[in-house]
Amino acid sequence: MVSADFVALEARAIDFAYHGPLIRGFSLVLHPNEVVGIIGPNGCGKTTVLKLLDGILSPSSGQVLLSGRKSLARLSRKEIARRIAVVPQNGGLPGYQTVFHFALQGRSPHLSLLSFESAGDEEITREALRLTHLERYADALVSEISGGEKQRLLLARALTQQTPILLLDEFTANLDVNYQVGLVSTVVRITRERELATLIVSHEINILAAFCDRVILMSEGAIRHQGSPSEVLTETNLGRLFGIGFTVRQGNNRVPEVMPLILGEQNERVSDR
Amino acid sequence: MRRLSRRRILTVSAALLAIWLLAALLSLSMGSVAIPPGKSLRLALQFLSGDSGREPALETILFSVRLPRVLLASLVGAALALAGAVFQSLLRNPLADPYVLGVSTGASMGTILYIVLVASAGIQATGSLSLYGRPAAAFAGAALTVATVYFVAGRSDRKGEGSQRLLLAGVVMASFISSINVFLLTSTSQADLRGIFYWLIGDLSRPVDASIYVISILVAAGAFLLYLMSQSLNLISSGEENALTLGVEVPRVKVSVYLLASLVTGAVVSISGPIAYVGLICPHLARMVLGSDNRILFPAVFVFGAIFTLLADTAARTVVAPAELPVGVITALCGAPLFIYLLRRKGGGW
Repeated sequence: MVSADFVALEARAIDFAYHGPLIRGFSLVLHPNEVVGIIGPNGCGKTTVLKLLDGILSPSSGQVLLSGRKSLARLSRKEIARRIAVVPQNGGLPGYQTVFHFALQGRSPHLSLLSFESAGDEEITREALRLTHLERYADALVSEISGGEKQRLLLARALTQQTPILLLDEFTANLDVNYQVGLVSTVVRITRERELATLIVSHEINILAAFCDRVILMSEGAIRHQGSPSEVLTETNLGRLFGIGFTVRQGNNRVPEVMPLILGEQNERVSDR
Repeated sequence: MRRLSRRRILTVSAALLAIWLLAALLSLSMGSVAIPPGKSLRLALQFLSGDSGREPALETILFSVRLPRVLLASLVGAALALAGAVFQSLLRNPLADPYVLGVSTGASMGTILYIVLVASAGIQATGSLSLYGRPAAAFAGAALTVATVYFVAGRSDRKGEGSQRLLLAGVVMASFISSINVFLLTSTSQADLRGIFYWLIGDLSRPVDASIYVISILVAAGAFLLYLMSQSLNLISSGEENALTLGVEVPRVKVSVYLLASLVTGAVVSISGPIAYVGLICPHLARMVLGSDNRILFPAVFVFGAIFTLLADTAARTVVAPAELPVGVITALCGAPLFIYLLRRKGGGW
C-alpha cells in the first residue's frame, strides 16, 4: 500500500487565460490508488484543466508537478507520455487501423528512435484489450466497432502506456448507462490493481458519486468544493453549481443519489437568481 | 498480424530494389537502338568489373546516355513518392501530394525565377552558384508556397476541415503559380518553347549538370531525416492531439516535415519540373500491400516511386520514338485512371 502523502500529480495555483481568464487558482493533489472526479457545468474549464495537467497547455502562472516534484514544464512530450495517459473525448478515430494496432500506439512513448514494438509490447497491448473486453475485436478495423467499443479502445490505448497517472475526459459521453457503469468500474478496478492516480471528468454525477474517492465541483474556472462525494454532493452545492434544483438522498454505502428536478417551481426560482 | 521489424523492412526494401534493378535493365535495353537485356546485363557486368571497351558504341549508349537518365528518373520518382507519402500522413488526407499542394509548382517557379534572373543579370553561373543555385531557388519556391498555402488556408477548429482547406488552398495556389510560370517563361525567352512546355509538365530529357550530385545528397539526407520522423507521423495520422498525448512534439515535427518534404521535392523539381501523380499514386499502391505504418511505408515508397517513374520515363522516350513525350504525360495517363479506381474501390478512405 502506498502512503497517502505520496503525490502523483500536483497542480499549484494554476491560472490560465485565453481571451480572458479561463482557469483561476486551480490547486489539486492527486495520490496513487485514488479516483478523483471533476463535475461542473459546460464551459467551466474541465477539459482545459486536463490539458493543463497533461502539459498540452501551459499555465500562465502556477505550476504542475509530478512525483518527486518534477515540473511538467521541464519534461519533453515523450517523458510526459510515459507518466501521464489521457483518454480523450471520443471522436474522429482513424478507421483504417486494426483495433490491435491502434492500442499498440500506446507503447510508442516507450520506444527509442528507430526501434520497433517487441513481443513484450504486444503482450502488454493484448492485456489492455483483455481488461477492456476488446480482445475478440483485435483484428477488426477501428471503423467497424461501435461507439462504446471505441471508447473502451481509447481506454485500452491509455492502459498500454502503463503510466502511473490516468486522465479521462468525458470518456463515457454518448454511452448507454450500462456501458458507463461497466467502463468506470473497469477504470476503478485497474486504478486499485495498479495503484494509479486517476482523474475523471464527467457529466454523470451519479456515476462519479458511486465510484470516486473524492469529487471536485468546478465553475467558472475555479474549484468551488472538494471532498468525499457525500460531503460535496449536496442539494445546495449542486443547485448553486448548475442553477437548477436537485434532490439528494443517501443510498447504499452512504453513496449520495442525485436527482435533478427537471420540472418545478424551484427550478425557476434557482435559475432566476 | 505481422510484427514490424527491421528484418521485415529490409526484406521488403531488398525485394523492391531487385524489381528496380530489373526495371533499370529493361530501361537500359529500350530505345532507338534496341539492346537485348541479356546483352545490357553482360555489358554492365563487364563495365563494373573494369573490363569495358569491347563494344564502345553500345557502351556509350548504355552508360553515357541511358544510365544517367535511368538514375535521374529513379531519383526524381523516389523523392516525389516519398514526399507524397509524407504529406498524406501529415495532413491525414489521401489526396495530399507535393503536386496537389502546389509545392512542386512553387519549386518550379523558384527554378524559373533563378534561371531568368541569372540570364537577365548576365551572370555566368559557375562554381558554387551553379551547384547550389538551382536547388536552393527551387527549395525556396517550394517552402514559400507551403507557407503561403498554410496562411491562405487559415485555421479551422472543426475536425478534418483543416486539411481539406489546406488542399483547396494548394490547388488554387498551384494553378495561380502555373500561370505565373507560363507568363515568366514566355515573356522572357522565345528560344525553346517546346522545351519549356515539356518541362512544365515534367520532363527528364534535358541534360543534367553537376548540381545533380548536390541534389542527390539533399534527397538522401532529407529522406533519412524524414524516416526518423516516421513513427511520429504515424501518431499524427491519428490526430494531432492524440499524438501530443502519446509523446510527439507535434509543432516541431510538423515544421520539420514541411521543410524536409519541400526540400526533397524542390531538389528534384529543379531538374524535372513538376511531375504529377507520382506522389499521389505510389503511396496508395504501397499502402495497399504494406499497410499504413510509415516505418515500412517510407522506405518502400521511396524505391517504388523510383520504379514507377523509371518505367513511366522509359515509356515516355519509347512509345512515340524517335520523338519523346514528357514523362509527366505518362504519369498522368496512368495515374489518373488508377487514382479514380482506387478512389472508387476504397470509398475515398486510406
